[in-house]
Amino acid sequence: MSSVQETIFGIISKEAGIDINKITLDSTLKDLEIQSLDAVQIIFELEDHFKITLPDRDPKFDTESVKGLVEAVEKLLAEKAAGTTPAAQG
Amino acid sequence: MRRVVITGMGAISALGHDAASTWNGMREGRCAIGPIVNIPTELTNIKIAAEVRDYDAAKHFDSKKLIFLDRVAQFALLAAREAVAQSGLDFRADGRGERTACIVGTGIGGENTHDEQARRFYGDKNPRVHPLTIVRLMANAPACQITMEYGLTGPAFAVVSACASANHAMAQAFEMLRSGKVDFAVTGGSEACITVPTVKAWEAVRVTADDTCRPFCKQRRGMVLGEGAGIFVLEEYEHARARGATILAEFAGAGMSADAGDIVLPSMQGAARALAGALADARLDAHEIDYINAHGTGTPANDPTETKAIRHVFGAHADRLAVSSTKSMHGHALGAAGAIELIAAIGALREGVIPPTANFLDADPECDLDYVPNVAREQRVRAALSNSFAFGGLNAVLALKRAD
Repeated sequence: MSSVQETIFGIISKEAGIDINKITLDSTLKDLEIQSLDAVQIIFELEDHFKITLPDRDPKFDTESVKGLVEAVEKLLAEKAAGTTPAAQG
Repeated sequence: MRRVVITGMGAISALGHDAASTWNGMREGRCAIGPIVNIPTELTNIKIAAEVRDYDAAKHFDSKKLIFLDRVAQFALLAAREAVAQSGLDFRADGRGERTACIVGTGIGGENTHDEQARRFYGDKNPRVHPLTIVRLMANAPACQITMEYGLTGPAFAVVSACASANHAMAQAFEMLRSGKVDFAVTGGSEACITVPTVKAWEAVRVTADDTCRPFCKQRRGMVLGEGAGIFVLEEYEHARARGATILAEFAGAGMSADAGDIVLPSMQGAARALAGALADARLDAHEIDYINAHGTGTPANDPTETKAIRHVFGAHADRLAVSSTKSMHGHALGAAGAIELIAAIGALREGVIPPTANFLDADPECDLDYVPNVAREQRVRAALSNSFAFGGLNAVLALKRAD
C-alpha cells in the first residue's frame, strides 16, 4: 500500500467512523455506508492534509470506488510536484 | 377562526429593487444570476451568484440611520416600506401599532457587519471594534428596525430556520392573526450574506453550481446563492374588506414539520408532512391547488425528493399541477427565499400567470412533474402552495388562495 493510499484510508476511517480494515480500493461510498456530509468532510481533510484542491464532482467517490479517489489525489500530488498547478506555485 | 389576507407586499431581489420588478422578472423568465460583482472573488471558487446589483444604500437611508443598518436590515426596511405603503395602513393611528405583530425571518443576520469587523480585528489588527457592531449584526435587527420605523409595539421577533426562515416567520404571523392575538402583521424574511467567508463556507459543502441554477432538469449542478428580502402586510379579512383595501391574496394556511433525520439530506416524509399539513390547515383539497412554488434548489438531492413528496401528497393530481422553481432566476436567498417566492405565488394567483423554471434543459427521469420550463404560462390559479425546506430538516409550506 502506498503511503498516500494509507493516509487516505486513515482519513476515511477517522472521518466516517469506520474500521480501516473494512476499506478496500474497490469499496464505494455506498458500500461503506458513508453519508454525504461525511464524504464532504473526507474531501476537506484530504485537501487540507495534502494541500490540494479536489474538483467538486470528480472523483465521483460516491458512485465510483475509493480507487478513483486515490488516483485523483495521486494525480494532483504529481502535478503539484511537477509545478504544473497553481497550488504548487503558491 | 378569522380569515387572514395579504394587503401589502414589498421585495428586493436580484431581479429588481421592488416587488413589481421582481415579479416582472419572474414572468419574463429572466435569470438574474451572474458573475459576482459585490465581493472580491480571487479566493473563491464560486464565481456566480444572484446579487442585488446597482444598490445604493445612501439613496434610501440618511447617514445617521444607515450607521445602524447592516445590509440585511436595509433590505428588510426597503421591502417593508413598499409593503406598508401598498397596504395604505397607518400603524401610528388608532392604536394599530399595538395590535400589530412584526416577525421577520433571517438565516444568518448581519453577516456583512460580522465580516467587516472580524476583518478589522483579525486582518488589520485593529483592536477597536465598532460600537454598533452588535446592534447591526443581531439576527433580530431587521424585525426591530421595522418596528421602530412604523411604531409597531405588538409581538415582534426574528425567526431563524436557515432556508425556511421566511416561511416559518410568516406562518407564525399568520397564526397570531388567525387566532386573534393581533389584528395586523408585518412579516417576511431578509438575507444578505454574500461575503467572502460565507461563500467559502458554501463552497466547502459542495452543493453549489458553477454554471447557473437549473432546478429539476437533468443537467442541474446545484444551488446558486441569492440575497434580498420580501415583506408582507397581513390583515384580518373583514377589516380589509371594510376599509376597501386591495386584497392581494388570502393567506389560507401553513404546514410545518421537522425531518429529525439527516442535518443536510432532505427527507421525502418530512416534506410530505409539511405539504399535507398546509393543505389540512387551509382546509383545501389537493385538487384545488393549481400551482406550487417549489423549494427547487437545483441540488441533486432536493429536486427528486421534493418531486416524490409532491407525488406522495397529491397522487394523480400531481400530473395536473404546475410546479416551478423561481430560484432559477433570483437564486437561493436562504432566509429570505420563502418571502421572495411568495411574490411568485401572489403573482400567479392575481394575474393567472405561472412563472417558469428558467435554465431548464433536459428532463430528468427522477423529476417527472410539470416544471413550466423556461417560459411563463397563462393559467388560472385558484390556490397555490409555496415550499421551503431547510438544512436541519426544517420544513414550512404556505397555502394561499385567490382573493374573492
